[in-house]
Amino acid sequence: MNVFVRRRGGARRWAVVTLLAVACAGLAASSCSRSADGGGQRVIVLGFDGMDHGVVTRLMAEGRLPNLSRLAEAGSFSPLETSVPPQSPVAWSDFITGMDAGGHGIFDFVHRDPATMLPYLSTSRAETSEDCYGIGSWKVPGPGGKIELLRRGVPFWEVLEDNGVESWIVRMPANFPPSGSASVELSGMGTPDAVGSPGEFSFYTSELFAFEGEDISGGEIYPVDYWEGTAEATLYGPPNTCLPGRPQLTVDFTVHVDPVEPVAKLVVGDEQRLLMVGEWSDWLPISFPLPLGDLQVIARFYLKSVRPELELYVTPFQIDPEHPAMPISTPDGFAGELVEAAGRYYTQGMPEDTKALTEGVLSEEEFLRQAAYTGRQFIDQYKWVLDRFDGGFLFYYFGNLDQTSHMLWDTLDPGHPAYVAETDARFADVIESLYQELDGVVGYTLDRIGDDTTLVVMSDHGFGSWRRVFHLNNWLEENGYLVLKDPNRRDPGVYRNVDWSRTRAYGLGLNGLFINLRGRERSGIVPAEDRTALLEEITERLLATVDPQTGEPAVTEVWPRERYRDRGYLEIGPDIQIGYAWGTRGSGKSAIGDFTDSVFSDNLDDWPGDHCWDHTTVPGILLTNRDLGRPVVKLTDLAGAILAQFGIEDFPAGTPSS
Amino acid sequence: MSVLNAVLRAAVDGLLSPFRGLSPWVGLAVVSILTAVPMLLVFRATSNQTALAAVKKQIHAGLFEIRLFNDDLRAIMRAQLHILRQNLSYLRLSLPPMLWIVPPLVLLFAQLQFHYGYRGLEVGQPALLEATIRESALDGATGKPTLRLDVPDGLRVETPPLWIASESRFSWRIAAERQGDYTVKLGFAGQEVEKSVHAGERVVLRSPERLAPTFVNQLLYPAEPPLPGDGPFSAVSIGYPERALSLFGLETPWWVVYLGLLFLVILALRNAFGVTI
Repeated sequence: MNVFVRRRGGARRWAVVTLLAVACAGLAASSCSRSADGGGQRVIVLGFDGMDHGVVTRLMAEGRLPNLSRLAEAGSFSPLETSVPPQSPVAWSDFITGMDAGGHGIFDFVHRDPATMLPYLSTSRAETSEDCYGIGSWKVPGPGGKIELLRRGVPFWEVLEDNGVESWIVRMPANFPPSGSASVELSGMGTPDAVGSPGEFSFYTSELFAFEGEDISGGEIYPVDYWEGTAEATLYGPPNTCLPGRPQLTVDFTVHVDPVEPVAKLVVGDEQRLLMVGEWSDWLPISFPLPLGDLQVIARFYLKSVRPELELYVTPFQIDPEHPAMPISTPDGFAGELVEAAGRYYTQGMPEDTKALTEGVLSEEEFLRQAAYTGRQFIDQYKWVLDRFDGGFLFYYFGNLDQTSHMLWDTLDPGHPAYVAETDARFADVIESLYQELDGVVGYTLDRIGDDTTLVVMSDHGFGSWRRVFHLNNWLEENGYLVLKDPNRRDPGVYRNVDWSRTRAYGLGLNGLFINLRGRERSGIVPAEDRTALLEEITERLLATVDPQTGEPAVTEVWPRERYRDRGYLEIGPDIQIGYAWGTRGSGKSAIGDFTDSVFSDNLDDWPGDHCWDHTTVPGILLTNRDLGRPVVKLTDLAGAILAQFGIEDFPAGTPSS
Repeated sequence: MSVLNAVLRAAVDGLLSPFRGLSPWVGLAVVSILTAVPMLLVFRATSNQTALAAVKKQIHAGLFEIRLFNDDLRAIMRAQLHILRQNLSYLRLSLPPMLWIVPPLVLLFAQLQFHYGYRGLEVGQPALLEATIRESALDGATGKPTLRLDVPDGLRVETPPLWIASESRFSWRIAAERQGDYTVKLGFAGQEVEKSVHAGERVVLRSPERLAPTFVNQLLYPAEPPLPGDGPFSAVSIGYPERALSLFGLETPWWVVYLGLLFLVILALRNAFGVTI
C-alpha cells in the first residue's frame, strides 16, 4: 500500500513539474514575436493612392521631391496607365490580378442586381446568419453569417506564396475580407466600420434645430439633453438582427462640462477622458452589450464646442484590431500585433472622414487634423512593418493623399467653381505637402534597403480638378432613352420614378451605362439583337455632347465592354463605360439612380477633386530603383513584372474559374 | 489600522524591493513560495490532520466503489452520497485552519494589489487626477469653488480644473514628463493634502486613491495614509491604468497568477512538510 501511495505521489510531482514546464513554455510563447523567413530576393511596393503623374513631374522639377527624384535617377519614372474606369477598386483589382475588369469582375464602386435593379457594393458582400440563439429579448445571431470577397481572379501574392515567397500585403484595397493566401495581410479600402457601413460618424449637439431638414449622408446627428453642465446621450451600434424591429445595440455615455473653462469630462462605461474644446480623445474601447458576450469596438471623440452649445463628434465605430469582430487580417492576430507600432488605429478602409466635412460637421481644419493623424499613424505602422519584413514581397498602401486630394483639390485650381480665394488660399500647400510627406517615406525606405531589394513606387490613378457635373440619367431622359413615370417628380429614389416599360438605357455607378436588356434586366425591353445598334447610337450622341457652359465635349472616351481584354465576368459590368472629359465627372446622384433638374451643373460640393473620367487623362505613376526587365505600361502589367523578379513568368495564367 | 497598514506597507515593500526592476512574475513566484510555506505550517498546526487523512481515505473508498461497481446503479448512488457526506466533513475540518489563514491573506492581497494591480503613468500618457470635496466644506456655496493644485517638476497639468457640482469633484488631466515618484499638493479652504503619483514601469507600491479614514477604506486601500478625517477632502485619486499579466497570450489579473502559483507550490511542498490537505 505504501508503494502504491508513493508511486501516486511521484506521479503528482511529475504532474506539477509538467504543469510548470507547460506554463513556462506558454509564457515564453506569449512573449515571442513572428520572425520572417530571411534571405533571398526582396521586393517592396509602395502604393500611393491618387498620386498624379503631372504633379509629381512638376514637384520633381521644383526640387521638392528629392527622394522620388533619387529613385527615378537610379531606375525609372513613367506614367502608369490606369484602369477603365479609373476608380480605385477597379484599378487596384487590375494590379492585384493582372487582369482588367472583365477578368476580376470589379467594374465600379457599385454594381446592380438586374433582378431587383438595386445597387450593391461591388467588392464584398456581408450576410448575417439567419439562425438566432437565445430566448425572448436575449437573442443573438448565430455563427452562420459570412463575408464574401467579390473580386475574382488569382491575386498575385497567391502565386508568390505557391512559389515559396513570403508575402506581406498591408491595406491592399479591394481585399476585404483578406484573401488568406498571403503570409501577412491587413485589409484596406472596402473594409467596413464595426457597424458594417463604409463609415458612419455620430454627431451630438444640444442645438435644437441643428441640421434639421438636411439629408445627412455618412453619419447621424443626435440631439442631446444638456442641463446644468451635464449631457446624457447614447452611442448607437449595429442592429441586433434577431430581434423584431432590428433594434440597435446601445451604450449610454455622459459629458460633464465645466461652468467656466472650455473643458469637459467624457464618461463611457469605465473609460473617462478630459478634453479641451478642439481636442481629440485617444481610442476608447466601447463594449456594446450582447446576451452572449459583448461586441467590442473602438472610437475617438472630438469636443467641438461646449458653449453656447455642446457639440461632440464621434468617429465611426472601428473594428477593434485587438478583438476583431470581423476578419481583417491574416493571421488573425496580425491586426492586434500592429497596435504595437502606434497604438490602436482606424481599421475601416477609408478612414479620412470626408463625409463629416462635406456635411459640415467638421471644418476643413478639423478634417485635416483627423486625416493627418491617420496619415502619420499609417506611416509609423509602415516603419514598424518594414523593420520586421525580412525577405520576400511587401506591399504597403497609403490612402491619405487620395482622400485629401478629393477634398481640397480646388485649393490648387483658382478656376474651380467652388474656389474661394480667402479660404482656399490657406490650404494651398496641403496637397503638395502630402506629396512631400510620401517622398519622405520613400527616402526612409531607400535608406534602409540594400542592393538586393527592388523598390517600386506606384499609384493607381492620377487626379484632377472636378469642375463640371454630368447627370447621365438626366441626359438619357433628355435624349429619349429613359422615361420617367412622372416627369415633374425629381425626388430622391433608386429609379423609383423610372418607367421601365419604356426605358431603353440607364446609368448606374460613376461611369456605367446599362441597356435595359430583355431577358437580363428585371423589366428589360430591348431585344438582344438591337443592343449593338442602340449602343452605337448612344455612343455617337455621347461623344457629340458639348457642355454648353464651356463649349467643350463632355465625353471623350466610350468603352464598350467587349473592349475589355479579359472576359470571365463581363456580364457583371455595364454595357459601356463612359470616359468623361478631364474636369467633368458623372454625378453621385445619377450613380445611384437619382435625378436632378439639368444635365450639367457646376461642381459646388466639398469634393472638388476627382479622377473618374477618361482613363487616358489620369495616369498614375511608376518609379523603380532598377529595371523590372519587362515593359510596364498599364496597371495590369505590373504584377507580372513583379513576379518575374522572383523568376515567375506566367502571370496571370489562363482565365479564372468562378 | 493605520499603524498596521504602515507596518505591512514597509514589510511588503521591503520584501519586494529586490524585484522592482524584474518581471512581475518573479516577485509573484517568490511571494507565492514565501506564503505557501507558512500556510502549510499553519494548516498543519491548526487542523486535525488525522481526521483529514481519514476523510480523504473515505472519499477515495467511495471513488473505488464507483469504479468497482460501475454496473450497479444503486451502489453508485450510495457511493456518491457517501462522497458528498465526506466532502462536507472535509470542508468542516478545513474551516479552522482557514480562519487562521484567510485574515492575513486578505491583508496581503490588499498590499499586493497596489504593487501588481496597476501600472505607473507612462511618460506623455495622460491620466485623470481627481479630488472630491465634502459637501460640508462647500458650505452651500454656488458656482465653481477655487482649489489650488501644485505639481512638481516632471509632471504637467494639461487642462484647467473641471468642476462637477453634482459630484462635488474637481478633475484635471495630468501627464508625466519623465519617470519618477512625485507628490502633488492640493489646497482647499486653507487646508492642504498630498497625493503620491508614480510614473514608470517598475513594480512598486502605487496608490490610486487616498480616502477618508474609515475602517473599510483602510482595509481595502492601505497603500497610502488616509486623508485627515476633519479636512475638506473626501477622496483624491489618480487614474493608474490596470496591469494584466500575459498568460498563454491571455491578459490575466495578477491575483489569478498568484493563486495559480500558490496552488502549484502548495501541491509541490505539502509532502515535504508532511501536511495532509
